[in-house]
Amino acid sequence: MTEMQSNSDNIDNQLTDEMNALCNVEADEYFMNIKSELGQIDRLISDAVNNLVINFRYISKLTKTHHEMVLVIEKMASPEASKPILELLDKQMNIADKIEQELEMAITSLQFGDLVTQLLAHTTHQVEMLNMELQRVDREDNWRNGKTALHTIHEGITKAVNIAKTKNNKKPVVQQGMQMGDIELF
Amino acid sequence: MAKTILAVDDSASIRQMVAFTLKGAGYEVIQAVDGEDALEKANQHTVNLVLTDINMPRMDGLKLLALLRKLSNYKTVPILMLTTESSDDIKAKGRAAGATGWLVKPFDPKRLLEVIAKVIG
Repeated sequence: MTEMQSNSDNIDNQLTDEMNALCNVEADEYFMNIKSELGQIDRLISDAVNNLVINFRYISKLTKTHHEMVLVIEKMASPEASKPILELLDKQMNIADKIEQELEMAITSLQFGDLVTQLLAHTTHQVEMLNMELQRVDREDNWRNGKTALHTIHEGITKAVNIAKTKNNKKPVVQQGMQMGDIELF
Repeated sequence: MAKTILAVDDSASIRQMVAFTLKGAGYEVIQAVDGEDALEKANQHTVNLVLTDINMPRMDGLKLLALLRKLSNYKTVPILMLTTESSDDIKAKGRAAGATGWLVKPFDPKRLLEVIAKVIG
């Protein structure tokens, strides 16, 4: 997924300046692990979606071929063909129609990969922002030579979380399920 | 002659689902992976409708929309936004930049085809 990589690249660029002033290595490693795991989820989902799309296209081609074959057999059947054979062909045609309808419905569900990838990119960005802000709090704390009171550290962390929130872009995906989205013509 | 639709999305699975839906209905489909790619292909082909995502690397859908509207041959071509984004402020930006309509993902193939038929006849 290029979008996630692009966001990740931007974050990496932003972080380059911050890295020189990196203070809390443990926290940084922790956040990098989360980022790496989110990347792993993204890759697993992308692979699964790619495979599903290949399966979908193959099933769709088979269904079309099946549909066409039933039509040909129906045409070949003589008017005197026995009633049970014609009924069977009719049933075959109904099944082919239903499979095509189900495949059309699957198109909506198969879009989940794009939604999940965008959400993962958003979450990765949030994690990065929080890491940067916590590093800043840690740096300021160290400068005061450990004389900071607990409540000051607490306030600093709260402030860091709030800054990370404001620096974060708006959530690109608000969908809670795979129901069809709204349509509006201007 | 079949009408041509330029489908722009950085997600390969979305592009394939869009292409599958549109080709099944008899449209010619040109695919582009982002705004820059779309702009290049829009200049190379005669396109009857553009269906574009918003969040894409290199050039996003809103920038593409604004640049296409500056081209004389794309002033009246319908441009539909197909995106996960649904907030009023981003829709307003799209409308102001010249979008013809807004479709929120995931799309339903039948409804997508109805909207396209309504827009390009």
